[in-house]
Amino acid sequence: MNETLLIKHAVGGRTFVDSSKQQVPYEVAHEAGRWQFAVHTPRHAGIDEILKWKQELNVFIFRVYDDGRPTQKIWYSVAADTVKYDAAGGKLTFAAGSCIEYVPDDFGYKL
Amino acid sequence: MMKLFPASARHAVDLGWLRSSLSFSFGEYFDPDNSSFGVMRVLNDDIIAPGRGFGAHPHSEMEIVTIPLNGRLKHEDNLGNVEVTSAGEVQRMSAGTGIIHAEYNDSDTEEGSFLQLWFMPKERGIAPSYEMSRYDEDKLQNTLLPVVTPDGAGDTASINQDMTIYLGRLQPGRRIFFNQKTGRRAFIMLLEGKLNLNGIAMGPKDSIRAEFEPDFVLSAEEAAFVLLIDLP
Repeated sequence: MNETLLIKHAVGGRTFVDSSKQQVPYEVAHEAGRWQFAVHTPRHAGIDEILKWKQELNVFIFRVYDDGRPTQKIWYSVAADTVKYDAAGGKLTFAAGSCIEYVPDDFGYKL
Repeated sequence: MMKLFPASARHAVDLGWLRSSLSFSFGEYFDPDNSSFGVMRVLNDDIIAPGRGFGAHPHSEMEIVTIPLNGRLKHEDNLGNVEVTSAGEVQRMSAGTGIIHAEYNDSDTEEGSFLQLWFMPKERGIAPSYEMSRYDEDKLQNTLLPVVTPDGAGDTASINQDMTIYLGRLQPGRRIFFNQKTGRRAFIMLLEGKLNLNGIAMGPKDSIRAEFEPDFVLSAEEAAFVLLIDLP
């Protein structure tokens, strides 16, 4: 199974973080009813954009299976007031209060 | 104050299956000076190839209105809504706390032409919802007919924002007036024909962004199909 973290602008889909293309180790922990994300990355233009557009972020985890199961996507609703970047630690953190899991193939239109 | 944005000033996108003219920043087109007009964030003028469209994707905290100009757009979402919207109809999706949807050209043979408009919501955190409404084409004649309103009165679709979307078809030589309340914005796009708006000549897909103008006089030089959005 291949997992990818994507952080995009919700208005039009500009990609700020793509773990399939960038070295960005990350962790997701489910604590106290929220999903706590920690993304390890030096500061770059994408991080600046995340902080600027923190009210309008789409965060996804994609899971692509090699056993024939369809791709699963999880979209997280980010709490804007939790989006922070620790420059000293090189770490972006944020929390999501809810998520929606979906299988794109379940919808009538397939790319 | 009124500013004309010619149709040619829009950012053009051609993906083969999708040809889109963007009135505001969207996707890889990002201009920090053109990201919004009041609560209006997106106006994409999309032409979609037969059978093609946008696969399942999320939205949140946005009011999204789709106005088909030609063709049929099929919508499916994770709330269970499945609808086909055609010219003469309007689709409104309030993304609220989050919704997943796919939308695509429902025809296997004909291109479809759709306007997609996004607005910031008046209230955040609402439950997501979807609505399709139909307007009477006859009622567009030589007037501005509301098709989206805050309260969804009559045949209009409701929207979670203090705004109204109007459509109108003016016969050649006809003139109509629109009184703008104090302190409001208006976005006007000429969808077809030739129009003079307060002395400014407009051609197809030209738009005007107006702020704090008291009145609009719309004079059709040719048969004109007009979109007018009253905004805070």
